[in-house]
Amino acid sequence: MLSNEILTVENVNFSYHDRRILNGISFSVKKGEICGLLGSNGCGKTTLLKCINRILNIESGIIKINGCDISKLSRSEIAGLIAVVPQELHVAFSFSVIQMVLMGGTVRYGFSGIPGRKDFTSAYDILEELNIDHLASRRYNELSGGEKQIVLIARALFQRSEIMLLDEPTSHLDFKRQHIIMEMIKKITKERGLTTLITLHDPNTAGRYCHRLTMLNRGCVCHHGSRDNIFHAESLESTYDMKINIERTESGASFVSPAFDLNKR
Amino acid sequence: MKKNSPFLIVILLLIAAIIFALTAGQYHITLETLRNIILLKLTGKTAGAELATPAMVLWSVRLPRVLMALLAGSALSVSGVVFQGIMRNPLVAPSFLGVTHGAVFGASLAIIFFSTAAFSIEASAFIWAITAVTIVYLIGGRGINTLTTLVIAGVIVSTFFQAAGSLLKYIADPYEQLPTIVFWMMGGLNNILWVHVIRAFIIISAAITVIYLFRWKLNLMALGDEEALSMGVNVKLLRAAFMLFATLLAAASSSSCGIIMWVDLIVAHISRTIVGPDHKRLIPFAALLGGFFLLMTDTIVRLIPGGEIPISIITSFIGAPLLGYLLMKQSRQWRE
Repeated sequence: MLSNEILTVENVNFSYHDRRILNGISFSVKKGEICGLLGSNGCGKTTLLKCINRILNIESGIIKINGCDISKLSRSEIAGLIAVVPQELHVAFSFSVIQMVLMGGTVRYGFSGIPGRKDFTSAYDILEELNIDHLASRRYNELSGGEKQIVLIARALFQRSEIMLLDEPTSHLDFKRQHIIMEMIKKITKERGLTTLITLHDPNTAGRYCHRLTMLNRGCVCHHGSRDNIFHAESLESTYDMKINIERTESGASFVSPAFDLNKR
Repeated sequence: MKKNSPFLIVILLLIAAIIFALTAGQYHITLETLRNIILLKLTGKTAGAELATPAMVLWSVRLPRVLMALLAGSALSVSGVVFQGIMRNPLVAPSFLGVTHGAVFGASLAIIFFSTAAFSIEASAFIWAITAVTIVYLIGGRGINTLTTLVIAGVIVSTFFQAAGSLLKYIADPYEQLPTIVFWMMGGLNNILWVHVIRAFIIISAAITVIYLFRWKLNLMALGDEEALSMGVNVKLLRAAFMLFATLLAAASSSSCGIIMWVDLIVAHISRTIVGPDHKRLIPFAALLGGFFLLMTDTIVRLIPGGEIPISIITSFIGAPLLGYLLMKQSRQWRE
């Protein structure tokens, strides 16, 4: 095993009510990379993220972070290693933005866990870094979708974990905000030396921002590797079970589109 | 500071309510007499002949009753806040999650089969209250929409314990045991002694202190299980602990005052809309507002001519329409 592999998933199986969701999943992610998880709805992307974070307990296999089996770690040790940005968080009680961010640091607050003055300052610094310090005292539920997502990213940063898991962070955002968020993820991953695992719906977004891709189909990994090696029509076709075209533009970017003949339809 | 003005207002209201409750009643005590009695007590002198009766009324009847109303109101409200937080639903409360009917069943069971000693009634009420709310949680936590199933599970378990309680009333001795059970079910503060106040104070202040110390974790629980888990919180353990202390609060209140409906839900809900969801402010505010609310209701009960009516009648008359209004307002928000 290479020493810079921070996350390794080996032969992981998971079933829900006798239905096999994850079937022998194996892949690894290197430190500092953005790894994209691609696959159709229901292929097990979100389940896999929950297994890595041990919200769900796997049936068999092993998930290691820095070579350490996560099933042997306590809840707070896992929180120290992994921060999660959920898809879209609905909260029953609308906390203020600064409180939401402070919650990310809970493992550092000790037994009863009350944040102190220093924690407030450093949480505010993160808001400034992400240019949302003007939202600090606003209520979370009053924010727009894009702002909410940035707050959740700020919270994940404040958790100060090495790995960040993001579950379709851009799926409900407009075109511009999708790219604002993705640029932000790219920037913080690089600047803070994080490792990012992100599920994405749009292969174009994945192709643009991810260093490494893991493609899932029906609970199995069908392709895994660096983007340059596996981002081609055949691998995407077997991931999504459909015909796919990839056009390369002059600037070197790829554009993925379904291979339907529009005039015939 | 503007941020703390709700606290200032509720403290002023509370002081006014305490003075009003101490002076008003069948035996009227004027403000001047009240001041004189307090001054006498502070200087350690005994009351003269003309102050003997009002001093007796104040120290042995009215003050314990006022203090108990404050304690019970705070306990019920904080209990409501905790349950709403861990269940992530601003419209649940211990009285709707089986706690109340479980406690009544437990108390009746103790009165009939064990002893009418306060401790055995309280212990049994507490154990059955915990049992009931645990069953509600086990049934309600499994559905697809846990908020709805939780409330329905509360209705199911409450109905079951209500029936079991009725059965116990049916077999109870009508001269010895039945009146004690009925007193318990009706709820009220008319037989409060200093011993009740002291016992309630110890349990309630200890439980509220523990809950307040862990207020930040309660914030996390209010976000959701997966959220709390990924931020390193041991959700199962913490939820069990919070449920235990919140039920203890509800049971401590009902062991002296019987069953008082609605205070928990209404005060917790209103406090949340006034000071927001952060439990650092919510818990103390709900405790103050709850004390004020129950003290005022109890004073109304005392002042209504023609004998005291059970306090739950008043709290229900205020609480039920208020909840109806809040539900309508909430469903309008959902539609918008």
